[in-house]
Amino acid sequence: MQVRRGGSGRGAEPGTGLRPPPRAPQPPLTPGGTSRRAFLGALGALAAGSTLAGCDLLKGGGDPPAPHPLTGFVSSTIGLAALYDATFAAHPDLTAALSPVRDAHRQHVDALVRAVGGSLSTSAPPVPNVAGPPAQAVAALAAAERKGRDDAVAACLANVARLAPLLGSIAAARASHLEVLV
Amino acid sequence: MSAASALAAAMMAEHEAIFGYGVVGAHLDRAGQDTARAAEAAHRVRRDAVAVRLAASSTPPPAARPAYALPFDVTNRDSALRLAIALEEHTAQAWRRALAETAGEDRRLAVEALMEAAAQATRWRRTAGVRPSTVPFPGAPA
Repeated sequence: MQVRRGGSGRGAEPGTGLRPPPRAPQPPLTPGGTSRRAFLGALGALAAGSTLAGCDLLKGGGDPPAPHPLTGFVSSTIGLAALYDATFAAHPDLTAALSPVRDAHRQHVDALVRAVGGSLSTSAPPVPNVAGPPAQAVAALAAAERKGRDDAVAACLANVARLAPLLGSIAAARASHLEVLV
Repeated sequence: MSAASALAAAMMAEHEAIFGYGVVGAHLDRAGQDTARAAEAAHRVRRDAVAVRLAASSTPPPAARPAYALPFDVTNRDSALRLAIALEEHTAQAWRRALAETAGEDRRLAVEALMEAAAQATRWRRTAGVRPSTVPFPGAPA
């Protein structure tokens, strides 16, 4: 299955305050903004890939290429965004406060896909069940963010230096999401 | 940039944050001062941890300057909170840069510092009423 980077303009990341220090050499994978279209494009490519998977079986011969080390991490990041979507559908009152957090997860997916070269194998996450009172839904989001933060730290430590700033930023974003949720 | 120079740069950012919080605290109420004190203490712990890492690589730790130029005048609660947010963003940027230059325990120190700075920046944004209180890529160049 192929996930392709959806086309999107590179939006400026919001920032405030202190004068920026002299710029270090820009890493090639500095993330930019994303759009809902880009995110859905990645999901759409996932869905298309699931039908193409059968074709691969018919080709025969040769071992399948080793999955990219970030495959599982990208899938779980897509899952985090999906968890927020499902939560908003069940609890619309949470949407206003938490949509920036959901959008951050989408931007992380976009940046990750871009960082690994725009192509990786992954699987679509199951639709989460978010029935229950809002407080319970928020607690479930916090638990998912906490696990996601720890996964991002592990990925940051395990991956090549080129990917470490992006993965570290994702870990830090998830740590900051917990401040909003608890 | 080597691991040692990236860590030294992050340590200088920690020096600046420690200095800056001395200014921030003076303009906040009791609760704000408590938060500022806790944040400053966290930066001191981080600074000392970097000094230990640098010593392990025989790199002299950069000394703090007696004073630092503030990016804007701090005269009241609003500007103090803006400075607090800026201090955390500044340290987050230094630690994010260090991630690409480090490995192992040095990188762990860097990612933990980046997470703490991002979380503290969000706490300050919430205190200041800045929305959204999170940014998608903490530490990324503005």
